[in-house]
Amino acid sequence: MMTELFRLEDVTFAHNPNVPPVMDGFSLTIEGGRRTAVLGANGAGKTTLFYTLTGVHRPQKGQVLYNGSPIDYTREGLRDLRSDVAVVLQNPDEQIFCSLVEEDVAFGPLNLGIDRDEVEARVEKALRDMRISEYARRPLQQLSGGQRKRVAIAGALAMQPKIMIMDEPTAGLDPQASMEVMELAEKLRLNGVTVLISTHDIDLVYRWADVSDVLNKGKIEFTGDADEFYSDPERVYDCGLLIPSVYGMNKDVSAVNGMDASPYPHSCSEFTAKFGRPSEVGTVYCVPVEEAEAADRYDSVMKDMRGMCTGVYGPDVRYALRERDVEFRFDAVDACFLKAVEGKDTVLFYDPIYDVSVKEQAKRLGAFGADIRTEAVR
Amino acid sequence: MDELAYSSRMVDWAPLGKLLLVMCLLIVGLITESIVVPMITFVIGILLMAYSTNMKIPLILSLAIGEAILIMIIGSGMISIMGDPNEPALWEGQILWFKIHMTATSFNKAWIIFIRAIAGVTLMLSFASSTPIPHLAQAFRSLHFPSEITELIVLIYRYAFLLLERFLVMIDAAQCRLGYNGSLTAMRSYGGAMAGTFIFSMEMAEKSEAALACRNYNGYFPIYRPPRKMSVMWPIVAIGSAVVLYVFGLYSVGWIDMQQIFAPLFGW
Amino acid sequence: MSDSLLRTEKVTFSYSRKGAKVLDEMDIDIPVGKKTAILGSNGAGKSTLFSVLNALNKPASGKVYYKDAPMSYSHSGKIRMRSEVSILFQNPNEMMFKPYVEQDVAYGPENMKLPKEEVEERVQEALFAVGMEAYRKSPIMKLSYGQRKRVTLAGVLAMRPSVLIMDEPTAGLDPQMAYEVMEIAEQLNSSGVTVIMSSHDTDLVYSWADEIRVLNSSKCVYSGIPEPFYEDYQLVQKAGLLMPSVYRMNRTFANLGKCELEPYPHTQSQLSVKISDRCATDFGVMNVVKVDKDTDIPALLASEGLEGLPIGIYGMSARTARNKTEMSVDFMYNGPENCIRKCLSGEDSVLLCDPIMVDKAVSSADFINGNGYGKIDVRTV
Repeated sequence: MMTELFRLEDVTFAHNPNVPPVMDGFSLTIEGGRRTAVLGANGAGKTTLFYTLTGVHRPQKGQVLYNGSPIDYTREGLRDLRSDVAVVLQNPDEQIFCSLVEEDVAFGPLNLGIDRDEVEARVEKALRDMRISEYARRPLQQLSGGQRKRVAIAGALAMQPKIMIMDEPTAGLDPQASMEVMELAEKLRLNGVTVLISTHDIDLVYRWADVSDVLNKGKIEFTGDADEFYSDPERVYDCGLLIPSVYGMNKDVSAVNGMDASPYPHSCSEFTAKFGRPSEVGTVYCVPVEEAEAADRYDSVMKDMRGMCTGVYGPDVRYALRERDVEFRFDAVDACFLKAVEGKDTVLFYDPIYDVSVKEQAKRLGAFGADIRTEAVR
Repeated sequence: MDELAYSSRMVDWAPLGKLLLVMCLLIVGLITESIVVPMITFVIGILLMAYSTNMKIPLILSLAIGEAILIMIIGSGMISIMGDPNEPALWEGQILWFKIHMTATSFNKAWIIFIRAIAGVTLMLSFASSTPIPHLAQAFRSLHFPSEITELIVLIYRYAFLLLERFLVMIDAAQCRLGYNGSLTAMRSYGGAMAGTFIFSMEMAEKSEAALACRNYNGYFPIYRPPRKMSVMWPIVAIGSAVVLYVFGLYSVGWIDMQQIFAPLFGW
Repeated sequence: MSDSLLRTEKVTFSYSRKGAKVLDEMDIDIPVGKKTAILGSNGAGKSTLFSVLNALNKPASGKVYYKDAPMSYSHSGKIRMRSEVSILFQNPNEMMFKPYVEQDVAYGPENMKLPKEEVEERVQEALFAVGMEAYRKSPIMKLSYGQRKRVTLAGVLAMRPSVLIMDEPTAGLDPQMAYEVMEIAEQLNSSGVTVIMSSHDTDLVYSWADEIRVLNSSKCVYSGIPEPFYEDYQLVQKAGLLMPSVYRMNRTFANLGKCELEPYPHTQSQLSVKISDRCATDFGVMNVVKVDKDTDIPALLASEGLEGLPIGIYGMSARTARNKTEMSVDFMYNGPENCIRKCLSGEDSVLLCDPIMVDKAVSSADFINGNGYGKIDVRTV
């Protein structure tokens, strides 16, 4: 599963010869199928790195290998590269070029020369995933900042990339919308897309990432497991970052309680499992369900499980159950497991693709002493 | 304007076809001597616009037409009072140092110009209010206009809105800091906001180049829902109606004599 | 209600005559001298509310009261409102009107038609407050995003408003800069300014705000302290929000019988102390050291025998004084919180503190001392 997608070898790039390089001797490997976070203060070189990966910036020194061969900077080569790699920029206005929502979402795929029926299908799906289908034929200047952000993400989704780079995908979005974006990132990953996210929301990304690449003043400061990086506070400060709150609290409480800081909890449910030491845990009843059947399934399942807390995860099921009285509409996996830590049973409805993530979360909680059962509901 | 165009009922009509029809009607209105023809084209223009906006002609369009009519009235008024001094005058007089000499010919001529002008304005507006810029660009493209120009039009058009937005926000920001406390201050604030918007546009231009590359831009803006291609019917209808109107125009010269209509009113 | 500074009464507003109502008979009040957070999803009407609060937009119906007097929309009335209530926009680039830092900061006071000396004094003071004195003569174009944010904040401060409204002050800033901006807001609040902010960062708001106001589809659906709002999960969900993680975890621990639900912790250290096992008498001592901008810190620490302890920093004068000495500081950000955390682990700590912020720093130990979770000795030097 781990394949090397990108390899940067001693890459140096400066916007012009008179200014200090924005990337100064970057050596970095980006592996396929892993949740990769790119961290760093403003001006550390994150955006430049992303532009280098898409071949927009050509390094003055060193080379960038994609799938084992150096990036081909000819027109065709770049087209092939960019049909694999999509970027969502921080400011949606920078990457929106058309005046209608659907025109803009179609812009990327049409540039790739994909045939019309395919483009139409992709646009429709991307709009639906970002919940903006109803705006499809609206002019962009009528939309708010948050809505434009969704359009920008939909535009990248429609390219159906192998690698999705998102620069501050949650900036300017309200908390629920941020959670939706993270769900989407997870869905992409499960579909085999490698997702790279840079963000200033350290708590969010600490929970999400498998690998953290930390940039500092034009250099790669660290690459690997986030827990190792945060164990050196001085280094963290020097990079313009702060320690995620869950990490900090784990360290404090572990120290006072005389416990080992490891295993490191990354989410609320893991933290409470570690220090709450529940004597009895609840069960999470899992209902992976397709959108079309979700409402009926919900009704029949909830007949047997009356009074239980429910959660939905995934854009399709959430949309299908919008009329139902669901407790946890956003961030439901963590919320349901948190309930389970408290000893309560919950029912979790999700798009079938997320089955792996739910099981993975249950397994992680096992490491913190909470053996929460996940039971598939028939 | 684009908002209007996208909600127009004529948005799906072939832009080239619309353009051809409007041009034909415009030209025929200009070249015939009969006043009836521009009257008809004017009515066609109004009807088209009414259909396009679903009978709800928005305020801004009415204002535009109103303004055009006002300008035309002034212009035609001038023409009507500068008749040939050798012809018998309907009205003679002097306003300040301006000598007035209105004749039957000049009066009729003024009317025909006036009606031609407002017919032209309504026709052009009916086209503009139903054709979004990207469609227009597509039309230009199919006419083999230089692509640099058409792409530039599309981009400028897109950024014009962003710049306007930014400018309005800066005006608000200036107000928050009392930027309009006195006329001199207000001027300086406007200047500051302009400069800020300008800098913003420079930054934007720089960034959008990279962003375009990321989205695989290869020199032209594809269009997702292309407007319909011009069918054979369009030129037939356009040219046909022009010819019919032209012939009708030849036949109908002198049907309506404005001077006679107005004569009882002024006692000419 | 005498403690409300700004109050709206059934305020309705929309941007065009036929357009949707952005504010719909909204009643909201802002208590004087407190830190109030305005929450709501994208498009709930936060920015529009701000523009109504400083007379930038006039409501179609309803009234806005400032200090219990209805707002006047005459020219002089608007001028007065805008010098009392200042807005810091989200994007600093939208607030820059002059090419050089000092000119831009002076822009507001100059527009107030103040005498030159007064303008000069205010610019000086405002640049000091945001820690940008050294950049006085720099061209704004050369500054980074975070620095520009501070300059625009200085520009707003120079008008000496009684109310500071910050629209998403931490958006786009990296974590350290975000904390710096929040500390400046805290300092202003200490000096008597009423601070209002909107933010999507649920956790940050929860640790910061005294009071919250929640907007949802053009109405104010909740006013008061945060906890009762988050208790009503349906309402939170409907408003497009989520529960703060500290709040959620505290509730889970309470349900597990690990601790009582109340008092509600708002920060990491507060939650940590609530759930940790050790009944602590061996917490460290937090030494709060008052530091003026001319204080010689190493000498002071030496004379008090506080050398070698972990040091946190809090407030602008402390930052200025430390910049003169180039001494190393362990906690440049979130000083009180980090010092308390050190104390929890049994070590002593030193907090270099702006005299104006001492009360705030000292009160950060109240949660622990006042609720019987242990005793952190706070020594003010």
